[in-house]
Amino acid sequence: MAKTYDYLFKLLLIGDSGVGKTCILFRFSEDAFNTTFISTIGIDFKIRTIDLDGKKIKLQIWDTAGQERFRTITTAYYRGAMGIMLVYDITNEKSFENIKNWIRNIEENASADVEKMLLGNKCELEEKRQVSKERGEQLAIEYGIKFIETSAKASIRVEEAFFTLARDIKAKMEKKLEASNPPRGGHQIRASEPQKKPTSWLSRCTIL
Amino acid sequence: MPDCSENYEKEISEGKNVRNVMCKYCNSVILTPSSASFTSFEYELPLIRQSKTNDQNPKTENVSLFWAVNDMFTFQNVGFSNTVGNNKYLTCADCEAGPIGYHDMSNKMSYVALTRVIHN
Ligand SMILES: Nc1nc2c(ncn2[C@@H]2O[C@H](COP(=O)(O)OP(=O)(O)O)[C@@H](O)[C@H]2O)c(=O)[nH]1
Ligand SMILES: [Mg+2]
Repeated sequence: MAKTYDYLFKLLLIGDSGVGKTCILFRFSEDAFNTTFISTIGIDFKIRTIDLDGKKIKLQIWDTAGQERFRTITTAYYRGAMGIMLVYDITNEKSFENIKNWIRNIEENASADVEKMLLGNKCELEEKRQVSKERGEQLAIEYGIKFIETSAKASIRVEEAFFTLARDIKAKMEKKLEASNPPRGGHQIRASEPQKKPTSWLSRCTIL
Repeated sequence: MPDCSENYEKEISEGKNVRNVMCKYCNSVILTPSSASFTSFEYELPLIRQSKTNDQNPKTENVSLFWAVNDMFTFQNVGFSNTVGNNKYLTCADCEAGPIGYHDMSNKMSYVALTRVIHN
């Protein structure tokens, strides 16, 4: 059968236990279907289709099964990952300090060119904040990655985070493609394509 | 609700789904037109709503009409549960209502029950 999409990106969320990865990735848990069969079993991954600058992109988004509690995230989990959301909790200093360890873990286990992004989650809890936004920005600069503060609970910028990561992976792939396959006549594809407003699932649903 | 194949006749053209396959509860698009093949067999699918007391023995119902999908990336939006036996259950990616069907790990086929979704 003909392929019905242009790109397929495998994305992961990494970070300390309790920072809100499952909520970011899936859904804030106080909803209608809470006591049903599915919530007892748990969800392994989701497939989402987004439209990015005219390309159809399939996102396969994985949750950890809680392995992060034992720091046993292994090569197997990282295999094939093209994007990783590094998540800390802005109300938890320790989770921020541990980002360094998670980055080391990624460097040891994931492919070298995996696209990373830093998320400071629970940003609606301003009164409990322990990590300033500036420190988040600084750390991201140190690692040369993008940074955004999110709230899975209040649905703040979660969708933006996924679109940003997907767009960066796409740009990287197109650059690679171009390098291995230079267009004739010196035409250059611009690395930063015009930004389109997300119109699909992310803008419609309250929580991922 | 018993399956009634006659109700679905107009949903099938040349063995494929004529319209979008969507979540009953939130209208999330699960499959786009003519991306899945109609198939029929008997299967005991757990009910969407379970009482808290039967975690160990979920209530099931017999379903027999399915949209078969051979590549999971054909799905527009869908959730895959953790593995139970040889299967993963399929859910709506937006509201997580499910199971709307199941994925067979041995042959990599996914089956969406016609009675658990709407067509639009
Ligand atoms: N206030 C607030 N709580 C959150 C947010 N995201 C997650 N939580 C809560 O943080 C706890 C841990 O979330 P979970 O997603 O299970 O974290 P995980 O261990 O990283 O998967 C849960 O009680 C969530 O309800 C958020 O943005 N704001
Ligand atoms: Mg979790």
